[in-house]
Amino acid sequence: MSTDPRDTSFEAVHTSTAEVEEETLARSTHRRRSDFEDTLTRTAEGQGREAGGALPRASLWKDAYYRFIKNKASVVAAVAFVALLAFCIFVPIFSNEDPYAVDFSQAYEPPSLEHPFGTDQFGRDVFVRTALGGRVSFAIGFAATFAIMLVGITYGATSGFIGGKLDNALMRFLDALYGLPYLPFAILTLAIFGTVNFWTMVVALTIASWFTTARVMRGQIMTLKQNDYVRAAYAVGASRQRVLWRHLLINTLGIIIVFVFLELPGVILGEAFLSFIGLGINPPKASWGTLAQDGYTEYQVHPWLIVIPSLMIAWLILSAFFIADGLRDALDPRMKEA
Amino acid sequence: MLRFIIRRVLWTIPVILVVIFMTFMLMRMIKGNPFQNTERAVPESIQRNLDRQFHLDQPWYTQYFYYVKGVFTFDLGPSLVQRNQTVNDIISEHFPVSIKLGLGAFIFAVIVGIPLGILAALRQNTAWDYGAMTFANLGFSLPSFLIATLFVYIFALRLKDYTHLPTNGWDGPSTWVLPMIALGIYPMTYFARLVRGTMLETLQQDYIRTAKAKGLRWRVVVSKHVLRNSLIPAVTAAGPLIGYLITGSFIIETIFGIPGIGRYYVISVTARDYSVTMGITILLAILIIVANLFVDILYGFLDPRTRDERT
Amino acid sequence: MPLLEVSDLRTFFKTREGEVHAVDGVSFSVEEGKTLGIVGESGCGKSVTALSIMGLVQSPGRVVSGTAVFDGRELTTLSEGELEDVRGREIAMIFQDPMTSLNPTLTIGTQLTETLRRHLNMSREEAKKRAVELLEEVHIPDAARRLKDYPHRFSGGMRQRVMIAMALSCNPKLLIADEPTTALDVTVQAGVLDLLEELRLQHNMTMIIITHNMGVVAETADDILVMYAGQVVEQAPAVELFDRPEHPYTEALLGSLPDIERENVRNERLVSIPGRPPDLLVPPDGCRFAVRCKYAGIDDCDKIAPALREIRTGHWVRSTHPASERSAATVEAAR
Repeated sequence: MSTDPRDTSFEAVHTSTAEVEEETLARSTHRRRSDFEDTLTRTAEGQGREAGGALPRASLWKDAYYRFIKNKASVVAAVAFVALLAFCIFVPIFSNEDPYAVDFSQAYEPPSLEHPFGTDQFGRDVFVRTALGGRVSFAIGFAATFAIMLVGITYGATSGFIGGKLDNALMRFLDALYGLPYLPFAILTLAIFGTVNFWTMVVALTIASWFTTARVMRGQIMTLKQNDYVRAAYAVGASRQRVLWRHLLINTLGIIIVFVFLELPGVILGEAFLSFIGLGINPPKASWGTLAQDGYTEYQVHPWLIVIPSLMIAWLILSAFFIADGLRDALDPRMKEA
Repeated sequence: MLRFIIRRVLWTIPVILVVIFMTFMLMRMIKGNPFQNTERAVPESIQRNLDRQFHLDQPWYTQYFYYVKGVFTFDLGPSLVQRNQTVNDIISEHFPVSIKLGLGAFIFAVIVGIPLGILAALRQNTAWDYGAMTFANLGFSLPSFLIATLFVYIFALRLKDYTHLPTNGWDGPSTWVLPMIALGIYPMTYFARLVRGTMLETLQQDYIRTAKAKGLRWRVVVSKHVLRNSLIPAVTAAGPLIGYLITGSFIIETIFGIPGIGRYYVISVTARDYSVTMGITILLAILIIVANLFVDILYGFLDPRTRDERT
Repeated sequence: MPLLEVSDLRTFFKTREGEVHAVDGVSFSVEEGKTLGIVGESGCGKSVTALSIMGLVQSPGRVVSGTAVFDGRELTTLSEGELEDVRGREIAMIFQDPMTSLNPTLTIGTQLTETLRRHLNMSREEAKKRAVELLEEVHIPDAARRLKDYPHRFSGGMRQRVMIAMALSCNPKLLIADEPTTALDVTVQAGVLDLLEELRLQHNMTMIIITHNMGVVAETADDILVMYAGQVVEQAPAVELFDRPEHPYTEALLGSLPDIERENVRNERLVSIPGRPPDLLVPPDGCRFAVRCKYAGIDDCDKIAPALREIRTGHWVRSTHPASERSAATVEAAR
């Protein structure tokens, strides 16, 4: 990696692009700084700081983190979300109840100390079953969200980055796909697979949900592409790959995270809907959706069997929503209502 | 402007064709021939007749061609399970029910949701705002099957002797009320939050400051300047909501025992009644596409800036 | 009797970290028929002062104390309804960005006539006729047809003219122009300023023009108010201010103007005032300009907050070392 200006080999020029970029930046900062050193000294001393001391590095993430923390609603939501996750992970580990043991003599018990959520039609402890169901729901949720992100980001970023005719074609196709009704296509997908298990459910949920992500990613990339720093990067010889990864995609990280928290509840709710109409995961594995469906049959006499899993879903939806809201505010430098 | 409309309309045709194609291909991938799945075995000769009638002995592209032709001539074929009914029969029997349900839910959402959002925005950060938003947040986080079930629970069991709101069936206006509200709760919260957001944003705009500086009375500023610009985005939100109203109806119809197209859809899928399933899917897709088209055109009319653009 | 008299105006903004003292004790007066120019850098509080007078400060800001007497009436104690009657009719305001200051979904005609009908009770026809006249007054060609156009059909300069027409429509006594030319091209700026002057004479209006551009005030203002960090630091008639500035800040402002006619100007650096204005969340107890002042620190003058005093007739300054009172020692120490 030679920076000798006489070395004009292809290698030398291109591998030192990164270094050139960093160096140019450093040099210009240094020059401006020395001109104002005296003034800065006086100003700094006036503000009780050490002159010439490093200015606190304002990193975007740190900044966003502090802004997020300040938002009370988001913090509460984040705690609630983590609490829910913890509930699902830890309760079955520490519980003594066998979630699969059938004991009809204990069927349909209302909530009590021994069974905080009561028992179901087979006498199984609902508390543990809810936690187990949560594991399944969360797993499906995260898997489907991940898949949606993967497909959506790839599609959208490719379309936005390459632009031109490809972008046109891809977007027109996407417009057509928008016309697909979500639930029917999920149902059809499940019907094609024949059975409903973890993976088929994930695929079914992903198929009709990735459109928005793709569209937003494409929009973001297109907007970011216009920025001067992209032009500058190309001007110093950065490759298209480098621009895409180092400059564009990094800047969409924030949006992606927000989207994860927006898609997750939608996917889990979708799974619940499908389960409710009878297309849920096969027993004995249960998700919140199938638990709700089970509970529905007896809601008149034992309403808690449907209420509890539904409340879990609601809890998840609310906390994810407020987290997404808080993240959006934290990552967006524009100031809103005080 | 007219050119914009024509272009938009023309674009829907290839979109619909793509949707039909995708549905068609998906259907073919579902294992199981409806005729073979029935308990009653179908005799050979009848099987051959049925094959000929449905072009099942032809290659798939011929089948596709016949099907598309059918769609555009409004002939969706006969039901494969209900032998004496055509898909059209089934649709015309059940679809209007769902339309009414969806429409009612939508109207409810607009009538309650939009004023709620306006109130919350104008009284930002007061008890009105917090109350309205808490209500909205509850409404959108509680799954619709829970809300519907609770409705039935409350009105059929607890308040049975006080109110006479039936929770089952679909005859007469009193049976419409609860399901429409149950279905409409989610869109209502959507509108409320959306309108609140757009109004707050509009209130920050410079031209509102100008309007105030001109000495216009506050209620005029709100009604003439703020509302008009805030409600336009709400119109575009109507598009995706149509999709929700359709999918949500599956659940609501099941719980309230309403003979709509949503409930029938699930039945047809499990019974492997291909033609009905296809017919309904395509119908719903066309509905969504047309609704989005309508919303796009409406938006073009409302926002003078897009009117002048050559899209 | 001055048309507008502002005394000790204070406007604070509540934030999570505390209260920002955007306007911290501003006093000035404007005589009828005169033009007052308010200059200062971004964030010094000049726009907020204007908004405070009009009662247009939005939460989380509010006028904390002080008075603003306009035509004998105390504005800060008026109800919202009474203020609505004053705005547009007696005091009008135009803003910096004509692009965003006009409602994009209403025609220019509507936005003009609504003011006329509100304050002057005109019928639709009368208002329309008057609107055309107003557009012609601001030199918009084809006025009658343009009434039906939307704001995005106008260029920046024309939009500002429309704003001016709207502001003048009810013949207000006072016009406050907040950075009227900042968002416009230089070539268009001159036209707008000329228009303002022409209309001002025609309607015998009093004007307050707010800007950070010294060139603009030099051309238009009778008196100039220099603001810094939420306070008035100097006030004087325009000619006097340019001839004999007193406050170090004013001197620095004038010194930073590039002078084309000087020799060797091409090889010189543009002079700027180093440093930044103080944080108005916790305003310094002492002199607010000290950190950036050439003459500060010699005799602990930075620890005292100087008061605004009349150094000559009609010339006020807030400084411990105004130009005409500087000792040779102070000047020497500053080099």
